[in-house]
Amino acid sequence: MKTWQRSLVAACALLVLFGGVAYAQAPGTPTMEFPYTGNRTAVWIVAQLHILFAAFILGAPIFVVISEWMGYRKQEPRYDRLAKEVTKVTVILYSMTALTGGLFIFVLLATYPQFTTWFINQFYLVFAVIYPALFISETILLYLYFYTWDSWKGEKKGRHIALGVLLNLIGLITLFVINGPTSFMNTPVKGEGISPQLFLETATLWDKIANYSWMPLNLHRIVGNVTFGGFVAGMIAAYMYMGAKKDEERAYYDWMGFVGNLIGVGAMLFLPFMGYLLAYELCDYDASICPYMMADQLSMFFEMQGAMIGLMFLASNYYIWLSMKRIEGVEKVRMTILAPIAMVLLPLVMTKVMTDYPVPDPMSLAFLLPLILAPFTLGRFIPNTRFFPKTVSARTVIKIGFLMVVVGDAIWLTPHGFVPTGAKLVAELELPESWNFLALMPAKNSAAFTLVFVTVVNYVIYNRAIRQGTIVWGKIDFASQFVLIFLAFSSIWTMGLMGAVRSLLRKYYHTYNLLPDFTAESFTPTLSYSAWWITGITVVFFIVVSFAIIVTLRPSDSKGHAPEGSPVPARAK
Amino acid sequence: MGNVIKKLAIGLVVGGALVGITRALEFPFVFQMMFFGYAMLGAAVFMLLDAPSLKTMSGTKSVIALLAFYIVLCTVYIAGASMWPQYDPEDEKGKIAKILGPKFAATQQGKAEELIARAKALDEQVKALEVRLKALGGDETTKEPQAGALPVTTGAATGDFMKLGEEQWQLQECYNCHKLKGEGGKKRGPELDNIGTYLTVDEIKLKILDPKSFMAEGYEKDWEKGKMPDKYKDLMEESDVVALAAWLGTFKNTSVPTPKPIKKK
Repeated sequence: MKTWQRSLVAACALLVLFGGVAYAQAPGTPTMEFPYTGNRTAVWIVAQLHILFAAFILGAPIFVVISEWMGYRKQEPRYDRLAKEVTKVTVILYSMTALTGGLFIFVLLATYPQFTTWFINQFYLVFAVIYPALFISETILLYLYFYTWDSWKGEKKGRHIALGVLLNLIGLITLFVINGPTSFMNTPVKGEGISPQLFLETATLWDKIANYSWMPLNLHRIVGNVTFGGFVAGMIAAYMYMGAKKDEERAYYDWMGFVGNLIGVGAMLFLPFMGYLLAYELCDYDASICPYMMADQLSMFFEMQGAMIGLMFLASNYYIWLSMKRIEGVEKVRMTILAPIAMVLLPLVMTKVMTDYPVPDPMSLAFLLPLILAPFTLGRFIPNTRFFPKTVSARTVIKIGFLMVVVGDAIWLTPHGFVPTGAKLVAELELPESWNFLALMPAKNSAAFTLVFVTVVNYVIYNRAIRQGTIVWGKIDFASQFVLIFLAFSSIWTMGLMGAVRSLLRKYYHTYNLLPDFTAESFTPTLSYSAWWITGITVVFFIVVSFAIIVTLRPSDSKGHAPEGSPVPARAK
Repeated sequence: MGNVIKKLAIGLVVGGALVGITRALEFPFVFQMMFFGYAMLGAAVFMLLDAPSLKTMSGTKSVIALLAFYIVLCTVYIAGASMWPQYDPEDEKGKIAKILGPKFAATQQGKAEELIARAKALDEQVKALEVRLKALGGDETTKEPQAGALPVTTGAATGDFMKLGEEQWQLQECYNCHKLKGEGGKKRGPELDNIGTYLTVDEIKLKILDPKSFMAEGYEKDWEKGKMPDKYKDLMEESDVVALAAWLGTFKNTSVPTPKPIKKK
């Protein structure tokens, strides 16, 4: 797609956006009925697709600039190539973001004209001035960043990196601005003793934006976008690895997959805590949201989320395992025996400590910090005896780690009862009273932390193996490419699931407790129905991304590249 | 193959042991199966760890493998989500209609739709009357009720009023936080079986409309944080609040340790 074509798409999207605003002012506009899907699902599909594209174009530039900077600093061209290739895909997906964004507004206006009019009026300055201005600025910066790549090199590289930083800054501000109206729908401003309608009349634009869940949503989305961007970069690498014909290409894309996965997993480690923060704020805003989420209508959505996160942690650790297999000399890598001991003890000790000293009681940290840090601080002081060795092999540590990931998944997944709502709970489907702690937050927190801790330890071992051994790029087990694709697909699917949860938390309101949804579709759909649509949306997104990858990166084969990723001893880097 | 058989055997032994232990601990059957499933997941993970390397694919073979992989992923995710217990939206639809019904009726659209519905009903009745008049020769008066008149009711008996209060308890999902008659509640709010002993109907009504007006003993932190939503004055009709308060006021079971409410406003 040429520049003028992209600009045309962006202009059309803006026209739809502004045209939509004007259309929204028309009183008594009749609504339409989408066939087959119904109105709510039609909005769901378009909104979810838009968010997926938007998440990528906001998340990818963060590590693109970091990669470009690393390439500049280390004088390694492969970092620069990675950054440029991901940017190529980002540029194509940027057009899709604009297109789906315009479509989103159009569908909203057609299906919920009264709500959309009211909503746009609430954030008129945002929708009519701030957001379009940011969007246009970002468009200009992105194209400038992409098209100056080759000309701003050498001494001008610093200028190009600064442009990338500015692009990210504008991207982050755009995210923060649009999260204002989004989070407002879940947690509109309120005041004690005043009705929400009355309070809204006196609220300023800033009051509406800086609502209860705004900052937690900002943090959650930043981390989520980086995770998503990393995993999609991994997927790009997997596709290219599968299609590579030369060894040096395979070596390069093997390395790219490693970097994408590292970024994705690195950011994913923070996601459970960011999600917890968002859920905590939502529950704090209105305590009735909590049981709706965790015990009633949406409880099984969270079971599915637990299953997905468990699988993703298993997959990311499996990638490390496969990656370790091609490191020559890995058998010599060892680690203190305290690491597997801490892994095994962690879920038990943490559940007990967090039950007795609930967060944010500092006593919980007093017990847990020494346990977590013991392998790194006390490991070297352990005496080596015949029955209690000082160290164990990397292979043993990782295998115990896998066992504990399965245990962590099991704890996370164990529900209070196999029922969709508390009202249907019967003894035959409920945990025994004395084991009910398995379904409570301390146990769930310990499970999440176990997954994170095991993954961190595995990456420490992996890093040690890379430093002590010789990594042979391009010779990784081919199954690893499916793991990279699995991680990208699963992270997008989970994003869709949790996006649905966040929207459904508004119950039968367009804006929680403020503007009811009087349509017949304001009920909570089943998990099964939701899964069908989430899968469909994910597949559509994958088709578009796959097309973008093939279109943008395929021609690079013929140009030929310097063998940046040639197999070289890791210790030499 | 040997690897698969060995891991499968270990998985079956561990799974069997877990089933035995959980059965001894009186876990329901579904949980016993769940623990068996975890053991099999562990076996599958260890099978993968020691599986031989997958040979590099390229060209059409890799495209077919990729498509097959996506089909498997889609199938597993949809089937996985469908295997969990499913919430029945029908359970909620009636509730939503009852909660939003009065709000919708109060809107311009609601009023317009009600007028249209009434006009339609009038039209139907006029047509029916015309038919009857024709059949009777046009000189017989009708005993049909006045068109558009509200149905005659016998007045809200006390029982109906209490039923309305109980219905509000269900609709507003008070049971999510408060235990009553041994049901509901997750220790988020106080048990209410003896609330009628401590508070009058007017005071209960005040507490529902303004949660900060009273604080239950032992719930100081929750009161300070405003755990009880301050939204019912906007969500509920006056008559519904009165009915709920009156119904709660009948609960005077002194054997239940309902915490004493302290007046704060």
